[in-house]
Amino acid sequence: MSRREASTASLLATVWPYARPEAWALALALAVTPLVAGLQLAQPWLLRKAIDEHVVPGQAQGLGGLAGAYLAVVAGAYLLQVAYTMSLSFAGSRTILRLRSALFRHLLGLSQRYLDGQPTGRLMTRVTSDVEALGDAITAGAITLVLDALVVVGVLVAMALLDPGLTLVALLLAPPLLFAVDRVRRVLRRLFVEVRDAVAAVNAFMAERIDGVEVIQLQGAEALAAAGFDQRNARLRGVTSRSNVFESLLFSMVDGFGSVVAGVLLWVAAGALGQALGLDGSLLAPVSAGTVVAFVDYLDRLFVPLREASNKVAILQRAVAGLVKITELLAEGEPAPTDGAPLGEVRGHLVLRDVRFAYRPGLPDVLQGVDLEVQPGQVVALVGATGSGKTTITRLLDRSYDGYRGSITLDGRELSSLRVADLRRRVAAVRQDQQIFSEDLAFNVGLGNPGISPQAMDEATRLVHADRTVQALGWTHMLRERGADLSVGEGQLLTFARTMAHDPDLILLDEATASIDSLTEALVQDALQRIFTRKTVIVVAHRLSTVQAADRIFVLDAGRVVEAGRHEELLALGGRYAALARAGEGVLGG
Amino acid sequence: MHPLLRLARDYGWQRRWSYLAGVLALLATNGLAVRIPVEIGQVIDALRLGDPVGRHAAGIVLMGLCVMGVRTLSRVLFFNPGRDVEYALRRDLFAHLLRLQPAFYAGQKRGDIISRASNDITWARLAMGFGLLAAVNVSTAFLLTGGQMLVLSPRLTLFVVAPLALALVVVRLCILALLEAQRELQAETGRLSDQVLGTLQGIATVQGFRAEEAFIGRFEARNEALYRLGMKLAWLRSVAFPLLILGSGVAVALLLGVGGPMALGGDLSVGDLAAFVALLATLAGPLRSLGWLLSIVQQGRAGLERIFELLDAPVERPEGTSPVAMPGPGRGPGLQLRRLSWAYPDDPARPVLRDLDLVVPPGAVIGVFGRTGSGKSTLIRLLARVYNPPPGTVTVVGADGARADLVTLDLDAWRARLSVVPQRAFLFSESLAANVALVDAPDPARLRAAVSAAALEPDLAALPQGLDTVVGERGIMLSGGQRQRAALARGLYRDADLVLLDDVLSAVDHQTEARLVETLTRLARGPRGPTVFIVSHRLSALRHADRILVLDQGRLVDQGDHKSLLGRPGLYRDTWEQQRDPGAPAPVGGAP
Repeated sequence: MSRREASTASLLATVWPYARPEAWALALALAVTPLVAGLQLAQPWLLRKAIDEHVVPGQAQGLGGLAGAYLAVVAGAYLLQVAYTMSLSFAGSRTILRLRSALFRHLLGLSQRYLDGQPTGRLMTRVTSDVEALGDAITAGAITLVLDALVVVGVLVAMALLDPGLTLVALLLAPPLLFAVDRVRRVLRRLFVEVRDAVAAVNAFMAERIDGVEVIQLQGAEALAAAGFDQRNARLRGVTSRSNVFESLLFSMVDGFGSVVAGVLLWVAAGALGQALGLDGSLLAPVSAGTVVAFVDYLDRLFVPLREASNKVAILQRAVAGLVKITELLAEGEPAPTDGAPLGEVRGHLVLRDVRFAYRPGLPDVLQGVDLEVQPGQVVALVGATGSGKTTITRLLDRSYDGYRGSITLDGRELSSLRVADLRRRVAAVRQDQQIFSEDLAFNVGLGNPGISPQAMDEATRLVHADRTVQALGWTHMLRERGADLSVGEGQLLTFARTMAHDPDLILLDEATASIDSLTEALVQDALQRIFTRKTVIVVAHRLSTVQAADRIFVLDAGRVVEAGRHEELLALGGRYAALARAGEGVLGG
Repeated sequence: MHPLLRLARDYGWQRRWSYLAGVLALLATNGLAVRIPVEIGQVIDALRLGDPVGRHAAGIVLMGLCVMGVRTLSRVLFFNPGRDVEYALRRDLFAHLLRLQPAFYAGQKRGDIISRASNDITWARLAMGFGLLAAVNVSTAFLLTGGQMLVLSPRLTLFVVAPLALALVVVRLCILALLEAQRELQAETGRLSDQVLGTLQGIATVQGFRAEEAFIGRFEARNEALYRLGMKLAWLRSVAFPLLILGSGVAVALLLGVGGPMALGGDLSVGDLAAFVALLATLAGPLRSLGWLLSIVQQGRAGLERIFELLDAPVERPEGTSPVAMPGPGRGPGLQLRRLSWAYPDDPARPVLRDLDLVVPPGAVIGVFGRTGSGKSTLIRLLARVYNPPPGTVTVVGADGARADLVTLDLDAWRARLSVVPQRAFLFSESLAANVALVDAPDPARLRAAVSAAALEPDLAALPQGLDTVVGERGIMLSGGQRQRAALARGLYRDADLVLLDDVLSAVDHQTEARLVETLTRLARGPRGPTVFIVSHRLSALRHADRILVLDQGRLVDQGDHKSLLGRPGLYRDTWEQQRDPGAPAPVGGAP
């Protein structure tokens, strides 16, 4: 990654707003921790007291009381432990809940141009497992790192009070450890980010191949798909195995270092080091045995929280890696436009002047200066060879894609200056690929819009002949992914119904080309006619019957309008349109 | 069989040497961990006596360094096989998914499958890595400590065992509830994943109809459900697992309250009692680990069940065994259909094809026409053996007249001779070249030929990197017609003896269609001469076929060439009239 790595602190600051409402729970956990520790320390103390003062001297009285006290302490520790875990789980789960919703909301607000380049499987991973890692970090108690640090400082102070010289020696040994730990931490973080990438790549690949599994099977390309998967899967294994090694190293380093420090301190304490270096005995005088015993004990206490912390550091780095991916998405995704002037009801007077457009900078222009005009109430057909730019025009008109050059005005107002939400209230599109969601029939028509009454839905479905489907299946019927349980024609009529139910002023209609049986075909044709008489429509036409019904036809070629007029006029012209019409009996363009 | 045992048998066992080495490293680590305090004690004694300590101290430093090494090793040796297991399981899962048939996928949600392969599979790794390490640690600790306790005093051991056993029983009950909640959680995660996928795929509609809030609302309901399940699990877990520690605390209190008076009464030595308490203290760590272990076992079980459910889904691939007896290169096979009837397995009451009788000569170009639901696509799918037709209904005839029942032929070999282009033009987010060839190293000359035959060449100029352009998920960078022609090029890239085109020209304009039909016909009549089936609802695409089959409600109602079919009343002629558009003036000459 060439970009500068964001600091852990700044990443945590990004996510803090999502966790803040549960700050009290985190504080509670933090407050409970020393109590838990205290109760745990009380246990050996009570034990020693019982044995030293009662069992050994044979003093039975009070033993029962001590046993009771012990029981109370143990029970108290248990309850506090539950409180601690629950408050952390609560904080973690709420944070995840909030962050996940925010991410999903963010995704829905991204521009289609941006989403085109993002495998959906990868985005799904961001919303599901990357968020999960963050919750784990909170739940696993990364927050208690603060307490661990406090304990370390406390022990160090006690050590310094006991013997500043030895403490200094111990502290002199610390930099190499800290340096090594920091190096490993950095490596881990980088590896964990790579892990998140690798996981997303595996998921995206799998999602796509499962989607296209029939093609793979029919083409006998199973081996190729398996090889492609293996490459990504192996990369994931490689990077996780490497992260494993460093994670283990981190833990073991801290663990073993305690012994190293103890050894060196003993050496120093005995004055042996001074002797070995030929130093004057006064500089590092031998220390009393009592001090050494106490010091070694302190060292033990020092390394327990350090070891704990090293474990949490790994968990934290993993969460940070997930966060890196999440903040990348939150920051990088190109948002769909939301600002602009409000727009009320429109008449549907649409004028395009010298409109040029490329899907991405660097790609050739798909539209190379389109001029066309639509009068309110008109039905306008766009006709042309495949790739001539018909669909692209409709994509600009509801601003699915932004960034056109030239001018597009709706009732005299420049499209790019209008508020998108208002524009889409007035302009609705029926796309060629029917987007059916695995939700119930009613949701697929109304799309959860509270402004659409049941009567409006009934009316819309009746108008476009989708009422047969509704009667056969019922409004609450759950449709299958991508409308797998509908025929092509039924799906088509359902998307018509969806559009009519939303009651826009201008409809963009990309006529479906897939085969529909003639009975349904007749219904579709009739539905189209009914739409045409009610709305201003721009239709990307494939059927001759549709074109003939249009008030005006624009013939596109290579991103330009080359002919315009009515069917008969264009036929008489004997140009591009006539050629298209002649080639296809009843069907035009693609 | 418990899914964890199965995982251990199928995937863990072959990595046993790594685990064994891990155990050795673990023993070494623990040995050192015990040895170091002893050594420190000796140095302190030596210090007290004024003996030289340099060698001992250096020994401690050295042992500390060794601990770093062997502990790292023990963890790596245990954890990395866990990663291997995860890798292998995911690989096998994907390989299995590639073999599962359409009938299986009809009942599945894609997001859920991916959720299983990404979320649930992590439990396999945890179980075979951290889980095993914890299991070894815990069981060693319990064996050693428990053994010592029994030797010291069986009676006191009872005091220890009773509260711990009680705690275990309660934990066990909680685990049953946990397992249930965990299953729900994982299923809900799958549903959420699927919802995210579905919404993103329909983003144009979601945004176009300003339905973002409705979709967010649906998502939040799922998210909320997930949260509630998560909290339920957290409750169960945080109440259940510390019970083990509580149990050991109760045991200590029992030792004091009951064992203390016994020791005072002389039934028990004070030293034994003290030793017991000390032993019990050493169990605190392992008991905590046991909690973790139980948690992993229970979550791993729920997760692995979902993985094995996929892995165990029967493939039901329509295999066959005989080698394919095709006519020599350059000649398509003949086909004979005898009383072919077919209904899909999920709807056996509704026949899709009925009593089809048909003889297709080698190298013929067959057009298939009919309404939606007439069985056109089904016929193609049966010939491609997406489903096997009933035995004896389809016979393949080789050049030398050799005959074989289609379903007895080796499936892979049969498909290797086929080229099928399905109705839905599916492209992967790879380069156009990779999409067309679908092989490891595409042959450039063949690639160019296929692209040109599919009339895709003129479009290449408009793509930023020509054939190397990555087309985006499902070919989003291409127009509908371009996608179809790319899929067609894929079909033409292969040197096939039988070409099955299922309505692949619906989104291309008519001039292109005419050119493509001509190319295909030339291909079939040429020296390579494959047998070709072209399915279409557009008669213009069919009229050059040698013979056109007219299907209606699964029956073959008519067949013949274009001219003869036009010559008699029926579905074909009606459609022809309709598609020609009676209102349009007859085409007249004129330069296009």
